[in-house]
Amino acid sequence: MKPTIGIEVHVELKSMAKVFSLSKNNFNDEENTNINVIDLGYPGVLPRLNKGVIDDALKACLALNFNINRLMHFDRKNYFYPDLPKGYQITQQDTPIGYDGYVEIENKKIYLERMHIEEDTCKSLHTTDTLLNFNRAGVPLLEIVTKPCISSGKEAVEYLEKLRETLLYLGISDVKIEEGSMRCDVNVSVSDTDELGTKVEVKNIGSISNVGVAIDYEIQRQEELLANGEVIIEQTRRFDDKTKTTILMRYKETGNDYRYFPEPDIPYVYIDDEWIEQIKKEMPVLTDELKDKYIKLGINNNNIKTIIANKEICNFFETVVDDVNPNIAANLLTGDILSYLNKHFIKLEESKLTKDNFIKLVELLDKKTISSKQCKEVINILLDTGKDVLDIVKENKMEQISDNSLVLDIVTKVINANPDSVKDFKEGKDRAVKYLMGQVMKESKGQVNPGLANQVLIEELKKL
Amino acid sequence: MRYLDLDIKTINEKLKTKEIKPIDLVNEAFKRIEETDLNCFITLNKEEAIKQALELEKKEVDNILFGIPIAIKDNIITKSLKTTAASHILDDFIPVYDATVISKIKEKNMIIIGKTNMDEFAMGSTGETSYFGNTLNPWDKSLVPGGSSSGSASCVAARITPLSLGTDTGGSIRQPSSFCGLVGLKPTYGRVSRYGIIAFASSLDQVGPITRNVYENALLLNVISGYDKNDLTSSKEQVKDYTSLIGQDISNLKIAVPNYYMSDTIDKTVRQAVLNVIDLLKEKGCQIDYIDIDYLEYAIPLYQVIALGEASSNLARYDGVRYGLKVDNFKNIDELYKNTRTEGFGNEVKRRIMIGSYILSGENANIYYYKALKVRKAMTDSFKECLAKYDLIIGPTNTDVAYKLGTKQDDALKSFYDDLLTIPVNMAGLPALSLPVGFKNKLPIGMHIIGNYFEEDKIYQLASFIEKELNLDLNIKEVK
Repeated sequence: MKPTIGIEVHVELKSMAKVFSLSKNNFNDEENTNINVIDLGYPGVLPRLNKGVIDDALKACLALNFNINRLMHFDRKNYFYPDLPKGYQITQQDTPIGYDGYVEIENKKIYLERMHIEEDTCKSLHTTDTLLNFNRAGVPLLEIVTKPCISSGKEAVEYLEKLRETLLYLGISDVKIEEGSMRCDVNVSVSDTDELGTKVEVKNIGSISNVGVAIDYEIQRQEELLANGEVIIEQTRRFDDKTKTTILMRYKETGNDYRYFPEPDIPYVYIDDEWIEQIKKEMPVLTDELKDKYIKLGINNNNIKTIIANKEICNFFETVVDDVNPNIAANLLTGDILSYLNKHFIKLEESKLTKDNFIKLVELLDKKTISSKQCKEVINILLDTGKDVLDIVKENKMEQISDNSLVLDIVTKVINANPDSVKDFKEGKDRAVKYLMGQVMKESKGQVNPGLANQVLIEELKKL
Repeated sequence: MRYLDLDIKTINEKLKTKEIKPIDLVNEAFKRIEETDLNCFITLNKEEAIKQALELEKKEVDNILFGIPIAIKDNIITKSLKTTAASHILDDFIPVYDATVISKIKEKNMIIIGKTNMDEFAMGSTGETSYFGNTLNPWDKSLVPGGSSSGSASCVAARITPLSLGTDTGGSIRQPSSFCGLVGLKPTYGRVSRYGIIAFASSLDQVGPITRNVYENALLLNVISGYDKNDLTSSKEQVKDYTSLIGQDISNLKIAVPNYYMSDTIDKTVRQAVLNVIDLLKEKGCQIDYIDIDYLEYAIPLYQVIALGEASSNLARYDGVRYGLKVDNFKNIDELYKNTRTEGFGNEVKRRIMIGSYILSGENANIYYYKALKVRKAMTDSFKECLAKYDLIIGPTNTDVAYKLGTKQDDALKSFYDDLLTIPVNMAGLPALSLPVGFKNKLPIGMHIIGNYFEEDKIYQLASFIEKELNLDLNIKEVK
């Protein structure tokens, strides 16, 4: 049996203003504060058109390899719902800004049918009454629809992660599925013949990994039904996070009739070459390019994944990568620094790490002036206080002793103080070296360069 | 002394010399409203108008329309002044903002006397679909004043205010102007901002001036015209001084007369009045040719598809959720919608919403709506072709003069036929004016002058010439 999967994604753009009015685009402010007569659908109002939203959509078009509809317009999608102030949604039915795009995941291209601009509805809050928060009404959305070319939950997850990553790096959306700035609906059908099976839509999936879970569950469920000779009816289901299953919401009513027609209040928009060239100039570096670069720098795969997955880490990394040893820098950022941030629930930009300090730190480590153990300590102090790295190292007497004669002094002192261990060494007992090294470290208060000390110690012992 | 019978230039002089004050005009206007009893207002702005008039006494008379009373059609949004679109569903609606045209009028210190009666949501051509009862025609109270800008025409004809604003989707300024012996202009689509106009059919609606004479019409167009960032369909084409060609020689104008506009469908007396004008123009040296414009005969079906399709969507927002009428008897959201809209909308509005919804439903959208857009484009192209060769197009505004109240109420289709000659102009987005050119049984006949895009000045040039030559007495001796 063959499964066919298509995915519809809605992402909220983080433009300054809403798409068809000048209200601030911020759902999270106090309820019903970012609203005006246009968002409320008052009599007599007309939409404006936020050019920045088209710019953002064009960036997405370029990143997702879409063809661009040069002469595009908006359409009205008519239906009644309390969260829809005008009784219609302004969307793009006939001329989506992007068509026939694709996204590359591992070993496969996911083909995209279309991407269009539309406005979000307001948010219903169901208590004893239904309350409406119009902060969300008119927030710009991009709807991105794949062709039915996905064949497993795993592929779906890969696609969504790639899509999320791309939009994040474009800087046009927060793409947080948990907060609703990215929403995924999937269509799954299974067929035991050459023809496509009956479409089942699954909504309300709260995370990318759950999209994979929902799809695999749905494939299995439908396969079992078909194996039992049952007929699948077109329906909408929702994903239940607790049981990791899908639950029937409703059977599809015969053809929802949205009475689409061209929005007469917004003239056609012509996207000329000049506009597209301008957008190309504004395009940031995207993840595929970054990955290639990091591989060439010899950074290990795990670190690359972590850096890419944490955009702010990546942004920071990009500012220093040319100035320092990239491997050490990558290790520090994805290791101790990231765990400090996670532990304290802060973002990199909220921490006290500066580019300057970070570069000094990497250099100290690169020159082995401090040990990696000490480095961890420095990072904690650095992120707590923001003090200069060199001061931290000095104040805490962390500078490694790498001066040969100084090391020799300490080693000689330790050898002289421990004749028994020297005897043990001569009798071939390896642990004697370990013990003596410990004494060297102790004597130097941990400041001696361990590699160098070890080398000098063995040399000196051999001389005896 | 009846100051409101004077032309605006004279009133302006008297205001400047302080022979009269704005309050004198305001008081006279309200006195005439009571005297005439035409039901041409839904809401009076008496308190505010008096207050404003008194405040204006402290200000310098800085423009020709300063202190002039004006009436506003009640589908134009006025801040803090009830705006109903003559519908029960908005009969208590007090807006929080001003339409762009209202802001412009206020900038000129014109005084809004009140909001005029109209067909509900501008749907009708007699004034009879108003929730607030029909408006009367001051020429004869047993007749319709025309519509949908019924009150805006009636009040200027009765000389309550020298000018008013109407809106025109298929003839709603020109037809009542014609029936009431007035000058009414539908500007080029995009010349005047639609921001704050309660939408009926967005691709056709346009605000325009209704006045007693051509010059004053141009004065008001000067005020309300211009690009508005709040209306993406408004034009950046530069605003002209629309009075500038008035009085200029017209002898080299090339004028077209569509055969369709002079067919047997048009009343003979009406046609004769237009023919008289044609003779006059020929005499003056104008080139006049009879021509054909394609697809004119489809104007009414086009209107029913495009205007009603758009209307069905534009009126969806009146759902009882955020403003306007909200019924108490509902158990769920569907009942709230259904019961509110059942109670709030009148029959004509319901009929049009139903037709419009049907036309846009499923496959019908292709069969009707998208096909209509193609025909509309073809008709527009034909107009453009004609106007590439001619300066202006003329013909009658309507098929006949004003008729008895109640005659067309039972025939949903028949009332559309009033707009037979006016609808094509909206479809093409062209400017057009109705000018009184004669009488039939003592009732005024309107002539249509259609111009090229943004050439309202040229329309006024011809209209003022004809107005001067005919020199008709359009003052109503006694409203009865």
